[in-house]
Amino acid sequence: MTGEPQTRKFLKMSASPHVHSPVTTTFLMLDVILALVPALIWSVYVFGWRALTLAAVSAAACVVFEFLYRRLTHKPDSIGDLSAVVTGILLAFCLPVNIPLWMPVVGAFFAIVIVKQLYGGIGKNVVNPALAARVFLFLSFSGEMTGFTAPHTHGVDAVASATPLASLQKGILPETELFDLFLGEMPGCIGEVSVTLLLLGGIYLLCRKVIAWHIPVAYIATVALITYLFPTGGIDGFTFMQYELCSGGLILGAFFMATDYVTSPVTSRGRIIYGIGCGLITVFIRYFGYPEGVSFAILIMNLFTLALDKLTKPVKFGGGKTVAKQ
Amino acid sequence: MAKTFKGGIHVPSSKNTRNSPIVEFPAPKTVSIPMQQHIGAPASPLVAKGAHVCVGEVIGRFDSGLSCPVHASISGTVKDIEMRPSYTGYGKTAHIVIENDFQNEVSPDVKPCPKKLDDVTPDEIIEIVKNAGISGMGGAAFPTYAKIASGIGKAKEVIINCAECEPYITANHRLMLEEPDRILGGARILLKALGLTHAILAVEDNKKDAAAVLTEKIGGDSSLEVVLLKTKYPQGDERQLMYALKGVELPAGKLPADVGCVIFNAETAAAVHTAFTTGMPLINRVVTVDGDAIGEPKNIRVPLGTSYEDVFAFCGGVKENAARVINGGPMMGAAQWDYNAVIMKNTSALLVLSDEHDTDKAAEAACIHCGKCVGVCPMHLMPNYLAAFAKADNDEMCEKFGVLSCVECGCCTYICPARVPIVQHIRNKKAQIQAMRKKMAASAAQKM
Repeated sequence: MTGEPQTRKFLKMSASPHVHSPVTTTFLMLDVILALVPALIWSVYVFGWRALTLAAVSAAACVVFEFLYRRLTHKPDSIGDLSAVVTGILLAFCLPVNIPLWMPVVGAFFAIVIVKQLYGGIGKNVVNPALAARVFLFLSFSGEMTGFTAPHTHGVDAVASATPLASLQKGILPETELFDLFLGEMPGCIGEVSVTLLLLGGIYLLCRKVIAWHIPVAYIATVALITYLFPTGGIDGFTFMQYELCSGGLILGAFFMATDYVTSPVTSRGRIIYGIGCGLITVFIRYFGYPEGVSFAILIMNLFTLALDKLTKPVKFGGGKTVAKQ
Repeated sequence: MAKTFKGGIHVPSSKNTRNSPIVEFPAPKTVSIPMQQHIGAPASPLVAKGAHVCVGEVIGRFDSGLSCPVHASISGTVKDIEMRPSYTGYGKTAHIVIENDFQNEVSPDVKPCPKKLDDVTPDEIIEIVKNAGISGMGGAAFPTYAKIASGIGKAKEVIINCAECEPYITANHRLMLEEPDRILGGARILLKALGLTHAILAVEDNKKDAAAVLTEKIGGDSSLEVVLLKTKYPQGDERQLMYALKGVELPAGKLPADVGCVIFNAETAAAVHTAFTTGMPLINRVVTVDGDAIGEPKNIRVPLGTSYEDVFAFCGGVKENAARVINGGPMMGAAQWDYNAVIMKNTSALLVLSDEHDTDKAAEAACIHCGKCVGVCPMHLMPNYLAAFAKADNDEMCEKFGVLSCVECGCCTYICPARVPIVQHIRNKKAQIQAMRKKMAASAAQKM
């Protein structure tokens, strides 16, 4: 018809859209890992090289378990998405530095095989694998899991120390200065201590649009409001609130755990309710139960994710408040 | 402040041809003109093999119901009438193949409207638009005469859609810069046809130069107004366009005319102007030819029915690494399988893309429930859930989550980090549900 065709090669057929955002799951996970690095460096400064060993062992164990599980069950390999690395680092972040090294391996098995893969792998798990593993370890090995050491006492002269939250629960202001709490000079899990650097990482994730503001803001604001209104032990409300916000795993939990995609809602309204729920349960546990309630609070709210998504389903376009009059 | 809507995505604009003036395509040796280039019934061929046709001569029409006549875009001899697959891949369409005699003989029927714009009646304009075979040139290809008719008495305002939100495409942009009078003239004719006094020309703010040209040409004419929109995809979708301009949501299943607006593409308006002032029906259009695997990206004015092969040859040929050809923009355009496919009334762009753009190369991973698709959906749906329900063939939940409201803009799939072909899952399910409803309606009608 139109002369000799210039090309006789087959053209590829595909469905639109024919272009794609460069951001992939791996990309997002890499950003989360980057955001955790400053806090990890700080933990090495405060607790020594063992903190890094712990994180490495935990991350490596997660990757190995993920690889083996997928291989043994003849499923496509998924370690490339880096989500196992994130789980490993987060798990290590909520362990005390002197824990035996086999414990994170047990935790990694629980997180990856039982919580994540048995449910179908990434995207299918109901609760956050790292947090579930932490709670599993906490309930199984309470002594080791609460053996916190004071900052800069690593090595032979490790000194056991009460965390600020343990004091606060008794209605006593911790010995640590508020500024040191904010900086991260306090006993605790390796990744939770530096509020400053965790905030920095959180802000990085917000700027990169890896996470949305709703969950961390709703979560932290709820904790702030309630601790301000109801301080214990006759402490001034504002002081009590500041100590509560800077102690324990709140910042780590609010920015890095509660925002876990798989186990948190996808709508803005759902995320706000979810954040508020996390805050309420955290404070409730801190007041009436264990010194720290972040892990339990997030795990409990994980269970509400599907319900919150359905409850807060957006009103579809064409049926909203601004619908045109006919 | 430029106006906008909720949701949507910022895609790299890739408007590589924004500074490429419209080039007239040299007369092709043959054209193959499809009888269906519009929504509605296909036209029936009016000419037989061996007949001689002139430029602008009617060669196909179908007079009952919604349809659009088709005209010869060159003069010459009808060599064949062939059935070929339609460009969407659904069914076959008759194509009239015309061999060019290079005489460029214009049909005697091509005559300008004898009356002045002030003296014509709406019906006369509708008749001119209908006879000129004009259908929406932005993509949807709805017959323009029918759109005008549907707006009479209902619409309060005309919107000329110059958003051009798809990446790559600059055809409307160049038209605004080079031939603003045709667009503005068309807008005035459309106002007259609808008996209205105000038209908005909506331009995305990455085309401020074009907006400035239009504003200058409008001068003191208060019936026309240029409004800037934020550059965001899919701003050119009529629902998002209406929301940005008027702050109202078009209810599902309603036409813009039902809520007071009629929307025409910029080049459609220009075609109306040409038909009115010269009598020349719609026989050519501006096409952006671009992509990383085409020799020389260009904006060209091409006779309808010209083959992709000829277009690519004129644009420096396709490169070795060409992997796919897209009719339209990269977000909603349809992949083509054949270089013999032809330029139609709604072909705003032809993209030749390399394997770099292979969306299949990154295999689909599992949805990680990140919610990015929910945030970008301009129809405020939950695409992640829709895709999951569609995959599981859960029709009830699909409908509950508004599957039929999906406009298939592809924002969800563009943004998905797991590369789930979300919109494709939804599209399949939509088609299934619609087919089932049709069947049920037909069987219900039979029982009665």
